[in-house]
This record gives sequence, C-alpha cells and structure tokens, in this order.
Amino acid sequence: MFKDQVLGLCRNPETAAQAVEALENKGFSAEEYDILTATPYPEGTFGESRHRHRLYVFPFVGAVLGLSVAVLITVGTQIFPPIVTGGKPILSIPPMIIIMFEGTMLGAILFTVIGVIFESRLFGPKLGLYDRRITEGYIGLLVTSSPERVTQAEEAMTGAGVQEFKRLPAGAGGR
Amino acid sequence: MNGGRGAGSEGKMEADRVGVEKKINKDLLGPVFGFPRNFWKASGVLSLVVFAGILAFVWLLINGLGVAGINRPVMWGFFITNFVFWVGISHAGVMISSILRLSRAEWRLPMTRAAEILTIMALFTAALHPIIHSGRPWRTMYWAFPYDFSRMLWPNIRSPIIWDVTAILTYLTSSAMFVYVALIPDLAIARDRASGFARSMYGRMALGWTGTSRQWKLHGIASVLLAGLILPVFVSVHSVVSWDFASLTSVEGWHSTVFAPYFVAGAIHSGVSAVVVVMALMVWFYGWKDYLRPRHFDAIGKLLIAIAIGWFYFYILEFVFGMYSLEGPELAMREMVTFQPPWSIYQIAFLFTAFLIPVSLLLFRRVRRNVLAMFLIGITVNIGMWFERFLIVIPGLARKQPFTFVWGTYRPTLVEILIVAGSFALVFLGILMFAKFFPLVPLSDVKEGEASRGEIQIGRARFKATLQD
Amino acid sequence: MSPETAAQETSLEAPSGQTWLPKAGAWFWLATAFLATIFALGILAFILRWQTGWGDRRLWGYYAATFSFLFSTALTAPVVSVGLRIVGGSWRRPVCRVAELFSLVGILSFLWFLPLIRLIPPARGRLSIWYGLAGAPHVWETVAMATLVAAGLALLYWASIPDMARSRGGGGKLTFLGRLAFSWTGSGRQWRVLKAGLLLLGVFYLLMLVFVQSLFASDFVVSLVPGSKDALFPAYHVMTALQTATALVTLTLFLLRKWGGLQDYIGPATFKGLGRLLLVVTLLWFYFWWSGFIVMWYGRRPEEELLLELFVTGPNRPFFALSLGLNFVVPFLLLLFNPIRKSILGPSIVSVLVLLGTLFDRIRLFTASFSMTESGNAITRLPPARVPDWIDLFILLGGLSGLALTFLASIRLLPVLSWWEITEGLKLQAERTLGRKKVIMVAKPE
Repeated sequence: MFKDQVLGLCRNPETAAQAVEALENKGFSAEEYDILTATPYPEGTFGESRHRHRLYVFPFVGAVLGLSVAVLITVGTQIFPPIVTGGKPILSIPPMIIIMFEGTMLGAILFTVIGVIFESRLFGPKLGLYDRRITEGYIGLLVTSSPERVTQAEEAMTGAGVQEFKRLPAGAGGR
Repeated sequence: MNGGRGAGSEGKMEADRVGVEKKINKDLLGPVFGFPRNFWKASGVLSLVVFAGILAFVWLLINGLGVAGINRPVMWGFFITNFVFWVGISHAGVMISSILRLSRAEWRLPMTRAAEILTIMALFTAALHPIIHSGRPWRTMYWAFPYDFSRMLWPNIRSPIIWDVTAILTYLTSSAMFVYVALIPDLAIARDRASGFARSMYGRMALGWTGTSRQWKLHGIASVLLAGLILPVFVSVHSVVSWDFASLTSVEGWHSTVFAPYFVAGAIHSGVSAVVVVMALMVWFYGWKDYLRPRHFDAIGKLLIAIAIGWFYFYILEFVFGMYSLEGPELAMREMVTFQPPWSIYQIAFLFTAFLIPVSLLLFRRVRRNVLAMFLIGITVNIGMWFERFLIVIPGLARKQPFTFVWGTYRPTLVEILIVAGSFALVFLGILMFAKFFPLVPLSDVKEGEASRGEIQIGRARFKATLQD
Repeated sequence: MSPETAAQETSLEAPSGQTWLPKAGAWFWLATAFLATIFALGILAFILRWQTGWGDRRLWGYYAATFSFLFSTALTAPVVSVGLRIVGGSWRRPVCRVAELFSLVGILSFLWFLPLIRLIPPARGRLSIWYGLAGAPHVWETVAMATLVAAGLALLYWASIPDMARSRGGGGKLTFLGRLAFSWTGSGRQWRVLKAGLLLLGVFYLLMLVFVQSLFASDFVVSLVPGSKDALFPAYHVMTALQTATALVTLTLFLLRKWGGLQDYIGPATFKGLGRLLLVVTLLWFYFWWSGFIVMWYGRRPEEELLLELFVTGPNRPFFALSLGLNFVVPFLLLLFNPIRKSILGPSIVSVLVLLGTLFDRIRLFTASFSMTESGNAITRLPPARVPDWIDLFILLGGLSGLALTFLASIRLLPVLSWWEITEGLKLQAERTLGRKKVIMVAKPE
C-alpha cells in the first residue's frame, strides 16, 4: 500500500498543539502523525500519546554481558596458569571485583547507547520528508497515511492555522 | 477547548520561538561555520607547544629515559604527577553534566559540553603519560593487553596498574559515548545549516535525527540513564589511580585508606576549577557572554566552595592520620615536606593556592560574578592542585627506604618540562579543534532552557521560574 | 488560571493556631506509653550495668553502639534538612522541619554520651588524634558534643520562629510558643535575617557534625584498636550516618503521612526525591567501606590483616554480613528499579532496612573496639564477638525508644511541618499551560 506524507510547518507550539488537536478530532491515530521539533518540549505538550519503549532493558543486558566477560577474563587469566604474585591468593576476589565493576559499567553504557539509537530508529542519514527550518524553531507536523487521508489532514491543519506544507509524493493533492 | 491557553506571558514567550532559535543557532554555530578572531593565532601557538612536546618525546625515545630527571629512588616524576593531574581534570565533565543533570541544576546547561570535552581531552592526555613514562611505549602492550596466547602470559589483574587501564578506558569510552549521544540533535542542527561535504558528514553523524517526539523522549531518558551510569565510573577512576599509591606499603605517605575519596574530591576540585577557566575563555574567545552569564559563574563559584571544603576535610584526615602512628620515617617525611625548602615552599604554595586564597575570595558575591576574577581563581586552584599531586608523588619516594641503596632527590629536565607544557597545549588545542567542528555549547539544551523558562509574579515582584517535571 | 494569580492557596493553606499538630488519637498515647515503658527499662538496665562498674570496658560495647546509632540518626538528621535547603528542589519543603525536630534528641544523646566519655583513657601516652593534648579527649570531646547539640537546638528554634509566631492566636493572648517567637512580625528585614541565619546556622551545624563525628569515630574506634590508623574511618562514620539519617527522615515522613493525617502535604514528589538521595548515599556507603577495605587488603601489613579479621572476616562476620546486606546489597537492588524508587512505599521499606543495617554496623564496630583490652602497635589476640545479654538488649532498646519518644513529644510541642516554608513554596509555583499540557513552573528567588 502506498502512503503519502505531508509536513505542516508551524511557527510556534501553540499552533502545533491546535493542529494536533484538529488532527485528533478528524480521527487521526498516534501512528499516523509525528511532531518534529528542535527543542525537547515536555512530553504531552502537543497532546501526543506516550511512547512505549524498551530502553531500560538494554543497560541490564549490557551489564550482564559486561560482567560475564569480565568474570571470564579475570578468572581465566588468574588460573591459566596459576602464578602467585604479590602474595595474593590465586583467585584474588577484590581485584576481580574492581575489573568486574568496570566491565559491567562499560557493557551497560555501550548497550544504553545502542539502545537509544535502536529504539529511536536512528538507522542512517536518510531523513524522509523534512524541512531544514525545523532546526530553526519551526515545528513540523508529519502525517503519513493514504493520499485521501493526507489531504484531509492538510485541511485540518490549515483550519488550525498551519500555513505552510510540504507533500510527498510531490504534486499529489493540495499545495 | 482549552481555555486559558496562550494567556499571559507564556503566549509571548512562545510566539517568537523561531527568532530565539535562529539567534541561538547563529551565535553558537558561529565558530563552526566561521573563524573566531585570533583562531589561527591561538591554534598556531598551541600547535607549536604541542610540537615542542612531541620533539621532546622523540628525543626521549631516541636517547632513552636517561634524558628525563627520574632515576632511582625517585622513579615517578613529572610524568606521573601530570598523569594524576590530568586524570583529576577529567572529573570536570561528569561533575558538571552528570551530577548537575541528576540534581536538575538548570544553570549547568550552557557549560556541559565544554566540560565533557575537557574531560575527554584531559583523559586522553592523561593516558599518554604512563606510556611516555615507560620510555618504551611499545612495551606497555605487554602489561596492559592480553597478547601472548601461546605462552599464556596474561596481564596481571591483581596489579592496580591494570585496574588503571580498565578504569581509564571505560571512562574514556563512556564519556565519548555520553558526548556523542548529547551531540546528536546538535549535529542535526549543524547538518541543516551546512552544505556540500560538511552537510553529508554531519548528516551521517546525526544518524537521520529529525527531532520526533519519540526521539526526544528516548534522548531525554538516555541522558539521565547515561548520567547515572557514568557516575560510578567517574568515582572509580580516580579511586583506582589513588590505589596505585595507597596499595603500596613501603613508600611513606602513600599507604592511607582515605586516598580514594581524597583523590576524587581533589579531582573534582581541580576539574571544576578548570571548567571555570574554560568558561572564561569561551566568553572572551567566542564572545558568548549572553550565554555564560554572571549567574552561571556565581553558581559554579558556590559549588566550588562546597567542593573545596569537602576536599579539605579529606586532606586533614590524610594529614592527621598520616602522622597518627608516630612511625619515625613517616614523621621524618612530613617534617621534610613541612619545614625543608624547597618542599616547604611547595607545601605553603599548595595550601594557599588550592584552598585558602580561592575559598576566601569565592565567599564574595562580587568575585563570583566577575569573569576575570573567576578565571584567575580557576588557574590558582589548578596551580595548587598540581603542587598537591607533586607533593604526593615525589617526597615519599625521595626518602630512604628499607631496600634501596641510593637516596636522592628529583630535578625535572627540559625534556620533562617540554612534555608537560605540551600536554597543557594539547588539551586546549583539542578543545579548540572540537569547537571548530562541533558546537561547544549544547544548542538543544540551551533551547530547552529557553523554552522552559517563565516568570512568576508575587505581589509586585517578578521571579524567574523554570519548568518542573 | 492566569499567571498573575500565581499563588494557588485554595486547598493547601496551612492550618493556623494549634491545629497544626497531627491527630493525636488513642494510638499516639498507646505508642507513647509503650515506648516510655521500654525507655524506663532501658534506664534500669543502665543502672544495673553501672553497678557492675566502669572497670571493664567490654561490658559497655552495646551502650557505645547505641550512642553511635543515636548520633548517626537523630543528630545527623538536621544535616539532611540543611543540605536539601541549600540544593534541593521544592520537594524538600516538608522534609526540613521533620529532620530538624530530631535535634531535640540531642539532649538525650548528650546525657548518653557523658558516661561513655568516662570509659575512654586519657590521650596522653597512647596513640590518638590528640597527640597527647592536655584534657584530651574528655574535655574537648564533651565541649564539641555540647556545641553540636546546642547548634542543633538553635537551628531548630531559628527555623521555627515564623511558625511559633502563628500560635499567638487572636486577642493578644500569648501562648508559650508565641512568647518564644518574641517580636516576630514577619517584616521584610526579619525575613532576610531569618534566611541568612538559617544558612549560617545550617552550614555551621553541617561542619560541626562532620567534625564532631570524626572526633568521635577516631576516639571511640580507631584509637582503641591497636594497629589501626584508618584515615578513612571517620569519613566512613559520617557517610554511613548520612545514609542512616536520610533513612530515618524518610521513614518518619512515611509514618506521618500514613498515620499523622498529613498526606496532603507530604506527597509522592518528596518520596521520589528522597528515594534518589537514598540511592546515592547507599552507593556511597559501599564506596566508603570498600576504599578502606581494598587498601588494607592489598597492603598485606600483618597488623592491618588482623584489623580486617577483627571487623570483617573474623568473629564479627555475622554483623558485618547483615550490615553489608541491609545497608548496601538489598537497598541497592531495590532502588535500582524506577517503579520502586519512585514510589512511596519503596524508599520507606529501604529505610527500615538501612536503619537495621546501621544498627548492626555500629554493634560490629563498637563492640569490637570496646572489646580490645590491649594497647600497642598490633592486635595480638582477637577477642570473640560480644553476644548481648539482657542488660545490653534493654540498653539498646531503651536508646531506640528514647529516640522515638523524644520525637513523639516534639511533635506535640512544635509544628511537625515547616508551614512557612510550605506556604512559601506554594507561592513560588504556578500552573501554566504549555501547548496542551499543564505544567508547573517553580520560581527560585535569589
């Protein structure tokens, strides 16, 4: 199924919030629209729904992996071969704890970064429908749906005071 | 409909967001898309000093460690002192961004990235020092990395040196990741302003960031999460460095249980002071006085008072309990440091520059809000903290020990001085270069601060207010 | 609501006059009676121990541990208030008075301290942080402790002046508290002086607490154990005390919310803030313990290996294990999870664990140090762990109930929440609309 996209550009959060409300009144679901900003507004400023995510799982997985690797390295290097140094036991637990701690944290941090990239779907430099002015303070309202619905969305947003639109595929519908 | 929407001052606040953000972009991306005045002069001078340091290092490689002043019994000299110093400075970034992020101190916003970059550069520079100090850098591989599979000779994980390697590498990686994640939205801003090759490079690094609400939400959570995760690492790094010394029992003045928190507190003290220096330079060099305002200096000045007093508490504990057992050699070492020049001069200089002068000056509001005064205080503290590290590393080694047959003192050579000078230049050159390619003030954070600011009126007074989550 | 009418004082205006006390129902008197009985038994136990004499320090280990516990909880609690007043957000407002009310326990603690100081030998002729100073440690420790207690009471008094003035009521009739507020009228100048005084007194208390606790830890543990020169130990005592005090304040707030009828004032934000604080101090607990341990373990000096055996691996191992579990492992694992840390019940449960853990920790430290009968440069013979007898148990329970009893009395005496700070907080925040979301703006006056 082919999908059209329209990007409405608002000069302030007020208009954007009204436009989102207009979209909701037209029956647009959270999956169909997205809000693009250059500033992190508090969640819910535009009445958008709460995003579910599994970011918290990543550091735990990373921590377990990091810990396991650290245990392997510390235990392995001490018992193959067992050489006594500095009068310490062959399996010296306190030094192991320090290295295990660093390994755990490194794993957790690396996986958090992987997690945020993965969960934010930041997979490459391609942008899709976008406008450079968004990073100048414009707020973008991106609607992705069937061509007719997109036209409807454009009308709803115009009604809420959005004046400028970009559409993909270009030429389809309004503008 | 939502009745009171847009009423009052917040309506105005939002209407000209585009203007506000354009101005922030223009101001803060200025040095990226143009050249600040004196850029070439500054980078030229810094490069020269770095080059001199590199030449000195090459000279050391060719002629061996003999050209440095370190010798038996003082085997640890300027390099190790400087190593500890730079590891200390590297505690700036996390202190400023992580702790203040978790405690929601709004004033941290404009200085976080500079502090983080200072962290990375300082840590990188610090990590060079043990390698330089070894004299034969290729050999450091032997004790740091698992290399010899056939003969099963592994690094000795019971050695604090290996803890150092793991802690510093973990901290370096984590800080770099922390900076990168925070940088992604700013890279998108740079991408949208740039053209040609730069645009494609920024685009690649921004990973397709468009600023959707989901991206922002996860970005926010990740920043807090990373801040929380990096904190324990941050504490561990200088603790592990302190255990390089404290785990040894034979050198006077080293074997003290308080070393770990003492080192960490000292690291934060010098690190935050270094951030003050960098802030002042940012005001003068890039002209960002609208972003780094007196209130920012005021807040960091107050923080410094607290840090300095905390650090001094550990110093007192170290000093009092150092002499506690009344062991002859220990007392002799303390006596030497306290009464015998040149040590006593260093000691007095250290106490005055690291604690007495800065803390007594910082108590005054007028001092805290003066950029020049704060800059000088930042430098003073760091001179003092350099002496502190010197006084920890050298005097104990210079004393006669049970199994040494020589007893000597330490005098740095030109090679060591040049390498130390080069390390300072390297850190600042690194920050300068970073600022040439990336925004040194986090644009998105500043914008968020702008967007979440307002006023509350009580009676006839108006107070600046911020958003509470 | 328009921003001009920023102060939303409708439902949460502080009750005036004497109605500020939490409801004192039957349970209150029942609890008071119960605690008073235990406290009386504690005094009896103390008298019995007194009869045995002062010669054998070993018998007083639990007495010392109880004092250290009081010191680490009640006397440290005001520091939580001071610290939060300096850095905390508006969630700290209900915390401050509750924390400061514990200064009143200082009187009991000081009385408890006086017999204890008798048990310590003079500093002359032995290793101590006093290096043989005349009068040390007895005179100086007592002076320091008295100053600390006085400073705590002064802080409590100073912070409650505006609330005491509220109790004057109408008609010019003066209550006892109203008299204590002297000529407070709430003029601009008075407020400025009040706030400056709060900052100064608070910082003084904080510095004093760290100082006195370091002296106490050095004199009552480090210098009693031969071979010990643990420079970190005083800081460990302070740090663990901070954790325990945070726990005590959290638990008290929970109880006041649950049974004191204050659920409108002590909200989830406060517990969320305290939960985060608890996580930080819990991590620091481990850090301060570990930093000392690793240095001694690695150094392998024979006298330090014996110290580790005395305090960690040897006869006192059960106490240490309990403390490690209750102060660090379990609280850490619980607080790691957002749903627990950000709840009301979560931090409160953790607080109970932490309080118990510190109790075991203090028993471990002080019964061990009080069991040392020898002096010199190293331990030669490890004393066995001291198992409490009935007298020890009642001394311990007496101390704990004394703490609770003083607090119950204090909430009848003074407003349990700092109403002036809470109303100030309400005035400094306002609800706004951002887009379609209602947000709270908080002002920070300079």
